[in-house]
Amino acid sequence: MAASLLIEDVDAAYGAVRALDGVSLRVDSGETVALLGTNGNGKTTLMRCILGLLKPTRGRISVTIDGVTTDLVGRSPEDIVNLGIAIVPEGRRLFPRLSVEENLLLGAYRRAARPSIPRHLEFCYEAFPRLKERRSQAVGSMSGGEQQMVALGRAVMCAPKILLVDEPSVGLAPILVARTIEKIAELKEKLGLTVLMAEQNFHQAIRIADRGYVLVHGHVEFQGDSPAALGDSELVRKFYLGL
Amino acid sequence: MDPDLVLLLNGIVSGLLLGGLYAAAAAGLSVSFGMLDVVNIAHPAFMVLGAMLVALLWGATGIDPLVLSILLTPAFWALGAALYVAYHHFFERRGDEAIQGLAFFFGVLFIIEVGLVLTLGPEQHFADASYANTTIQLGEVDLPLRMLVPMLVSLLAIGGLSLFLRRTFMGRAIAAVAQDREALRLLAIDPVRVKRLAFGISIALAALAGGALVVVQPVDATSGHVFIGRVFAIVIMGGLSSLGGCVLAALAFGVVENVTATFYGPSWSPAVAFGCLLLVLAVRPQGLFGRAA
Repeated sequence: MAASLLIEDVDAAYGAVRALDGVSLRVDSGETVALLGTNGNGKTTLMRCILGLLKPTRGRISVTIDGVTTDLVGRSPEDIVNLGIAIVPEGRRLFPRLSVEENLLLGAYRRAARPSIPRHLEFCYEAFPRLKERRSQAVGSMSGGEQQMVALGRAVMCAPKILLVDEPSVGLAPILVARTIEKIAELKEKLGLTVLMAEQNFHQAIRIADRGYVLVHGHVEFQGDSPAALGDSELVRKFYLGL
Repeated sequence: MDPDLVLLLNGIVSGLLLGGLYAAAAAGLSVSFGMLDVVNIAHPAFMVLGAMLVALLWGATGIDPLVLSILLTPAFWALGAALYVAYHHFFERRGDEAIQGLAFFFGVLFIIEVGLVLTLGPEQHFADASYANTTIQLGEVDLPLRMLVPMLVSLLAIGGLSLFLRRTFMGRAIAAVAQDREALRLLAIDPVRVKRLAFGISIALAALAGGALVVVQPVDATSGHVFIGRVFAIVIMGGLSSLGGCVLAALAFGVVENVTATFYGPSWSPAVAFGCLLLVLAVRPQGLFGRAA
């Protein structure tokens, strides 16, 4: 169940506006890597490139899953997700008029995920008992914290090897942010995932990250090989801690 | 029994039967307009196309019109899927669907009507079912099979579709596609494929509704006109994406129209029925049975 992600020298742009500039990073099998940076520095753009929603103008993105390496650039999002790469998107992107269970089951649409539906559904309801109570409720009528649970659960249903999480803390109360971050660590541990998490909440992110990269203006400005190294970096102190 | 009460009872029952026909006509639109966000104003024209083909085939073979309409559904599904591919390629893909897409379906409507007039003539066509002249009498209430059988067949089809939407992966994807198509792609689901399949289903339902229509009344190329306003009103009143709501709204619409026609004359019935629509929208903007998002 080895799965890793490699990004080499990726440039990306929205029209004439350059969004990524020579970004290289890697996520090794079983790691949790944090992609740090304040708003507008390219974290979501990089996620979009990995998922095939935006085509990089240069560079290479590849995953190696169970010994098979696949180039992602030029593939459709459907193909890429079908390799076993799930995303918890920014803003959650749930289907508000469908019920909790319908949202979860849509996560398991791809054929490879269907045999494990009973196991994963049970897993979701065990990890988030609230979702079991509210399985037939329309997602649009639930609180932000509950919706974030559905989004995480839906990604689990995809039966991923690699989990991408984009800004899980946005729009949540601080106590829920801490809980969501812990849940991501729990899911990763229990399902043996490889995780890349974009997050602007530095303190929360480094609680569960093995390593991290700091993006500034679409460029990797700092690479920390441990949470401690990240916390000690001049750049992080300047940007996040106001020191 | 009090004659007024008998009149009212019969008005309600035949209103329900008329509502059954409306439900058949509106169910397909509930899929295309309600679930897919495709404003297919030509939907009643497809129903009439189905009705005319059924009448033609009935004349040639004598097979029951409703059976013929069921046999037509695969061809109509393919027609709908092909039409969606064209619509997607020329409008939706470029984000031009709001006004230009509407014009596109307006054009499709006229092409169908003119095509029917040129090939089959402007006169009325009909198809008689073997049960067309039988009426069941329950006490003082009349139940003409000419209305009842098409209604039951349509409700059965709608029930089947509703199960499909709730119980299958593709069905849930259809229910989700208008809410967030990019999110579907992130679940490895191709939204264009989903919409193509669903739009095909909506046009297949139009063929079935055509079979129902031609059992109920003779049809000509423009018979769809009276349905255009009604089916959109019913789908909106039903809460857009809810098939059950669509059926209930259709029945309510039929009853209001028919009871009004019975007591105050048929010229009042559209005014009262559409007045009810406005009232519903004023009080419940999400429709009678819609879930607020």
